[in-house]
This record gives sequence, structure tokens and C-alpha cells, in this order.
Amino acid sequence: MKIIIVGAGEVGYNIAGRLASENKQVVVVDKDQEAVKRLSENLDIQVITASGSNPKVLIDAGIKETDILLAVTDSDEINLVACLITDLISPTTKKLARIRNSDFEPYHDRFKKENPHIDTVINPDFEVVNTIKKLMEVPGAVDVGDFADGQVKYVAIRLDMHSPVAGMKLIDFPSRFGENRPLIAAIIRNNEVIVPRGSDKVEPNDLIYFVSETQKLKKTLMLFGKKVQPIQKVFIVGGGRIGERLAKTLEKDSIKTKIIESNIDRCHYLSEQLDKTVILHGDGSDQKLFLEENVGRTDIVISVTGDDETNILVSLLAKNIGVQDTITRIGKSSYFPLLATIGIEKVVSPRLSAVSSILQDIRKGKVLSDISIFGDRGEFIEAIALETSDITDKPLKKLSFPKGAILVCIIRDGLIMIPSGDSVINPGDRIILFAVKHAVKKLEKLLTVKLDFF
Amino acid sequence: MRWQFIANIIGILLVFLGLSMVVPLLVSIHYHDLAQDSFIQSIGITMAAGLILIILSKKQVDDNYINQKEGMATVALAWTGICLFGALPFYFGPEFTSFTDAFFESVSGFTTTGSSVMTNIEGATKSLLFWRSFIQWLGGMGIIVLSLAILPFLGVGGIQLYKAEVPSPVPDKLTPRLSDSAKILWVIYAVLTLILIIFLLGGGMPLFEASCHAFTTMPTGGFSTKNASIAHYNSAYFDYVIVIFMILAGINFSLHYQMLRGKTLVFWKDTECRFFLGLTLILTLLVTWNTYGSVYTSIKDAFRFASFQVVSILTTTGFATADYENFPGLSQIILFVCMFIGASAGSTGGGMKCARIIVCFKYCYRELFKIIHPRSISQIKINHIAIPDEVLRSIMGFLALYIGLFILSSILLACMGIDMMTAFGAVAACIGNIGPGFGTVGPAENFAHLPVMGKWLLAWCMLLGRLEIYTVIILFVPEFWRK
Repeated sequence: MKIIIVGAGEVGYNIAGRLASENKQVVVVDKDQEAVKRLSENLDIQVITASGSNPKVLIDAGIKETDILLAVTDSDEINLVACLITDLISPTTKKLARIRNSDFEPYHDRFKKENPHIDTVINPDFEVVNTIKKLMEVPGAVDVGDFADGQVKYVAIRLDMHSPVAGMKLIDFPSRFGENRPLIAAIIRNNEVIVPRGSDKVEPNDLIYFVSETQKLKKTLMLFGKKVQPIQKVFIVGGGRIGERLAKTLEKDSIKTKIIESNIDRCHYLSEQLDKTVILHGDGSDQKLFLEENVGRTDIVISVTGDDETNILVSLLAKNIGVQDTITRIGKSSYFPLLATIGIEKVVSPRLSAVSSILQDIRKGKVLSDISIFGDRGEFIEAIALETSDITDKPLKKLSFPKGAILVCIIRDGLIMIPSGDSVINPGDRIILFAVKHAVKKLEKLLTVKLDFF
Repeated sequence: MRWQFIANIIGILLVFLGLSMVVPLLVSIHYHDLAQDSFIQSIGITMAAGLILIILSKKQVDDNYINQKEGMATVALAWTGICLFGALPFYFGPEFTSFTDAFFESVSGFTTTGSSVMTNIEGATKSLLFWRSFIQWLGGMGIIVLSLAILPFLGVGGIQLYKAEVPSPVPDKLTPRLSDSAKILWVIYAVLTLILIIFLLGGGMPLFEASCHAFTTMPTGGFSTKNASIAHYNSAYFDYVIVIFMILAGINFSLHYQMLRGKTLVFWKDTECRFFLGLTLILTLLVTWNTYGSVYTSIKDAFRFASFQVVSILTTTGFATADYENFPGLSQIILFVCMFIGASAGSTGGGMKCARIIVCFKYCYRELFKIIHPRSISQIKINHIAIPDEVLRSIMGFLALYIGLFILSSILLACMGIDMMTAFGAVAACIGNIGPGFGTVGPAENFAHLPVMGKWLLAWCMLLGRLEIYTVIILFVPEFWRK
């Protein structure tokens, strides 16, 4: 299996790393010598220092024998041209392109059918904004994600002292809540991912990942003692692509939004693009401006500048002046473990979401989604149970699940079932599993679906 | 400044004007009235003047480019020349005794104002009445735009002339080629005029009167062939037909074009058009409510007359079906304010234009907003498109000049011994290209009794209003003449 990646930026780097670790042949093409060097030194891949949209370069890279082309440079135009050229030289190669300009969105579907036949268009900004919106819909949640086309959600919450479930053993949940009991997939305590057993307790200050039907989410949150209040006032720090897109969607929902941006030209651009949003020119970490604009009274502060440190600072500042909720954009995955200790929990990362959606997209059929949580330390896997695998047609208690993995729920004919020891998985059921990182390989074996590609 | 080049263009336009006088000459021959000689004389003089200018200037073919300054000077001088020579048929006719009166009538016609110095309109020859309506029709969409449409002599330089004659807060070209845009505008204009003629004929108006009234409705002119204007017919059908066509004339013509191309909701989606239509409705209802009981006994009459006066003044047409000087104070103030607001940009109407009013309000709001949020950055938008700063400055400058010139001219008029109400009314009506004013120049009176100097001043105001101030006032700035 051969994959060519055009673009050695953060996205290209991360994908190349993941694919190389799964023993794929990876060729990365980029003009930037420094970026290419970083890759060749750290990863077991081939690199070419040249323009990825140049047909000769692509032929030299072996595009004709390549299964997948990933065009993930920072330039939409280069990505498009690379796909276009590939379509001419080697029509059978699958093509994925990262296209960030939202004006291309109406044409994504046509790109698939007509030239340049891009099989998948990825827009990380779009996904980040979606994630932010999901987080906003579930206030109090640290992380939110979808399964089964949005029917089922996983949510992470931080348990506080007053929560009615604090101190309870999981084994006591059925007797207390009956059918409506929450499905806890993982507990994160002191930076450690625990896959809970019946005898485990939930304690205050735990980060709890649970799965719930989207419709019942509100009720489930109530069980944990979280109230859902709709957000009315939003303050966005950073008017880049994500800030702009977010403000546009918030305008549609008539949520009062303010954006602060430090570049005056960008401010002018934003004020042309946005109708109702208040655009402020200033530094996101300027405390005086925060007081002037009464930021303490807004429901949520979302910091999405391009600079991780500024974003962290803004979120801390906002918490300090009494803002209930913050969402912070982080680019460097190495920061993730540190953030919880300083109280920053709602984090979004465009690059990671690009990486995960690209990987998800090139996964082979039977794994529907594969979502990394807590900075890659655990994974939710949504898959279809195969007849050939060992897990079907047997009560669960007779299965030997690998340590560190758990079956969270079974979806059969659109119905969501909480598994118990006597449950049986039928072939064709959708199952959602959770596993800590080291258990993923064993789980794959059990499912007999390798996390494979086209 | 290449005067020869400018003189050449003016010469061509004068020949063009001379040719257009053939139309009333044909009318004169058809009706066997006594004005044939005056038209033949006028055609001769105008064509001769035009040809002399062309021969003397000998077109500089090498370079067709016109800069903005030259464009403005050309348009302002061309309009002055056209108004002067267009006055000849009036001057040679028996109805006019002084050239001042003839010039006033001519300017009032070409600028689509509709203020008249004629005391007995029905006594005039039919061909003269036709010429009076016809020059409004020519002036409404713009005589230079017309020449751009049919005479391709201007080439690239045409855009400067176009911008000077049809100034719009945010200039928009309908098509890539200017001459195509000009053609489209004139075709829409002509077709709407034709439809109006058919509607008026359908209501039983004779062909001559129907065409004259259509020729003065579509350019929002306001000359009538009757002493009592539209009130002469006392017909609700005519009133409403003319109200509808005045409104159509007061809407930006590029919207008509978009509508014809299948964008059906364009009138509603366009900010300015929505403002214009909404304002028309609200003011009509207010005047209806205000006049019902005090002037009119039935609500139907009140609505009919209120809608006609409001639309007539707001679109700066100036037809009358009622003497609004008998209306209560509120209605009079509303109509006086309407004189300033005017119709939409890109329409044939005058006044300050709704777009500028909207921008002005948004500008004021932005200033207030800026006090509350000192670091906010916001832009003034119309139809979701930000208005560039230079356009904004030009709009604010326009409004200031408009009010300033209104005050200055009113004071000058008052210096000539005219009472305050009349001075205000006459200047507002002339600078806004409306027609009837207030006081002794109201809808039931005319401008004949004003002093000679006053008529020249008001004629100047009409030109200022028609060419949207900058084009004319620039000639009075000393810097303009420095080399």
C-alpha cells in the first residue's frame, strides 16, 4: 500500500507518522526543505523536496502505483491542482484534499463526480467549528463527539463535589437509575485513563466519558448534576478563519457575538463579512479591554487565535474574571496533558481533527469511526460486528475482552442497547467500543477488523 | 483640460439635440399649429452651433481618454448648452416673452423638475407642449446616456461622462460594456413609457395627452398638458396608474433589469428599494390619517389623494391632484421632508436619494456605537456590501453640500424680496427636481411671478440637483481652473 502526501506541515507530519507506524509506504512531497527534513529525520518515510502540484514530480514520486494521494498543504490551490494533475496521470488513485476556503463548499459534492474527482474534501476549520458548536450545545462538557450519524453522542464531563453520583460504585448504578443509567466508558483520574469495572467508584474531580442517545442527553447530564443552560452571549478571541466561520454560524442562530482581533486589516475584512457581530480591534489578552467590553458577563469565551500561548492565556484570564465557560484552540498536541492541571479542559485542535478525519476516511469499510480522546490516549471505535469475528452470537460474559477495553453500547435497528453480561451481539450490529491505547491492537484482533485502509 | 475635445463632444450633442427637435416639428405639422417656423429656426440654430463647434474643434482622434475632471466639466457644460439651445423653441413661440422664462422652462424640462412659468398651459400650441414633455423624457434617463447608447463615438472615455451624468452613491454597471448598459437602461425606460401610454389610453385619455403624460411620468418630471395637472381628469384610475408608474420610475433601474432577468424578489431584497417602498407606504398612511376628516370626508378619497401627493413629491415627479397647501401642518411637513429624501439612486428621480439617507443614518448609528464600544470596527453596508470610505466621505460631503446650497439659495432668494415659505419651498423643489413648492409657488400657482434673478438662481439649483451637485459645483471651485 502506497500513499503520497503533498504537504509536510503539521497535518502532513501527523498523518505520515500514523501511517508509517502502520507499516505503509509513505512518500511526502513538499517544497519547504526544513519541513521535509524534519519528517525524514523523525519518520520512516521517503521525502521529495519539490512542488507537489508539479506533474513531473508526482510521476517521479510514483503516482501511478499509488493508492491514495493526500493533498494537505496550506494552500487550497496547490491541493486542488495536485488532485487535478493526479486525476489526469493516474485516475485510479484515491484523492483527498484539504480545502479551507468556505467558498468552495458548494462544490465539494461536484468535485467527487466531476473533475478533479476528489474523493474526499476535508476542511478542518469546518470540523473545528462543528466541534465548538457541539461543545456549546452541551455546556459543562469537556469533550463531545458523534456516533451513528449523530444519534449517539459521547460526552466528557468533570464531576464536581455536589454531583449526586459522586462517590458511587458503578455496580450500584443500575439499581439507582434503572434503564436510564449512564453508560460510562472511561474515567480519567490523575492523568490516567481507567476503563471502569463494576467495583470502580466515580469520585469528585474525575473526568468521565459517557455515551448517551442524543435525545436523552439532557436527562443524563441531570443525573450527573449538570444543568443545561442555552448560551446567549459569546466572546470570540481571534478573528481568523475559524473565528469568522464560527461568528457566521452564531449569527444564524441569533447568538450575540463579539470578536476581538488584533490585526486592523483583518478587522476591516471581518466587518465586511459579518453583519451583526461586534468586531473589536485589540489584543486578546488585554485585561482592560475585557473590562471595557464587560467580558465577565458573557456565557462563554472562545479563544481561537493562531497562537497556542495566547489562547491559553486568554482562557485563564476569562476564568479569572468570572466567565463560566471557555473553549481553547490548541495546535500542539504536546500541550494536552498539561492543560487539565491549569483548568483548561475544553480544547479544540484543527490539525488533530484534520488528521483524525483523514484517517477515519481512509479506514477500510467496517470501522465506521475511530475517535481519539484525551490527546490520543484512548480511542472510541464504532464498528460493525462481523460474522467471522469471535464476538458475535455469544453472551458477553463468555467473551474475553482485552484489559483496558470495554463495549459501550450496541445499536441494533436504530435502537441503542446497554450491554449486560447476558447480551449477545448479532452479526451486523453496530457496536461502540472504548479502549486505552495499548489495548487497541488486541481489540482489533478480537473484532477481526484490522484498522486497515482502502 | 482639453477644451477642444470638450467642445467637440458638446458640438456632437448639440447636433443630436437639433435632430431631436424634428420630433415636435412633425407633431406641429400633424396638428397644423403655428409653431413650425419656431421649430425650424431652432433646429437651424442648434445644428449650426453644433457643427461650428465640431469644425472649430477638429476632433483629436488620437486619444479618447477622458479624466474625471474633464468628464465633469464636459457634462456640466453640455447640460448648460443643451438647456440654452433647448430653450429656443420656447423663446421663438408666442407663449414666452423673455429668454429668462424660456430658459427656466427649458432647464425645468431637461432636469425633470417640472416647475413652470407658463400661466396658461392649455393655450399653448400642441407641438410646444409636446416639446416640453419630450425634453423631460430625454433628460430623465440622461441625454448623454442616450448618446452613449446610440453613438459609440466616446469609447472608453464614456464612463467618466456616465458617472458625471448618472452619479450614484455606489456606481454599478449592468453589463461589461458601457454602451450595452446604456442601451438596456433606455430600452427599459422606453418600454415602461410605452406601457404607461397604453394604460392611459385604456382609461380614455387622448393619444396626445397620454404620450405627453407618459413622457413626463417616467422621468419623474411633472409637466402636464393641463393647467390643473392630473387633477384635470379627476379620475381614480388615472391617479392610481400614474402612482404605480411614478413608483416604478423611482426605483433603481438596474433592479428592473435584474427583475427581468428572473430575480423576482429583487425589490424586496434590495435595502434601498425596501426602504423606499416602506417609506412610501408609511408616509401615505400618515397623510391619509392626517387628512381624513379635516380635508376629505371619505377614507377612500383621503388615501387616493394622499398616496398621489406623497408618491409625486417623494419620487420628485411633481404632478398634483390636490393643493397640499390646504392640508394640515403634519401632512405639509411630511411632503416638505419628502422633497429632500427623493427617490432611489439609479432611478430617474431626484432629491438626496434614499440610499444616501440610509447611509447617513447608519453612519450616525456607527458613531454612537463607537462611543459605547470604543474599539469596535464596523462598516456601513448596503445589501451586505461594505461601502468604501471614499464613497462614504463623498456621500457625507454631498449631504452637507445639499443642505448648505439649499440654505444659501434660500437666503439669496429671500434677499430678492421673497417670503420665507416660498423661498424654502421654491429652492427645495428646484434643487430636488420636484416642481411645485410651497407658499406662492405651490401646486396651484407657478413660478412666473418670481424676479428674473430668482429664476436664474433656481435654474442653477435645478442643474445642481439633476447632476447631483458635484458635477456642477466643481466648476465653481478655483482649484479646478488652476493649471
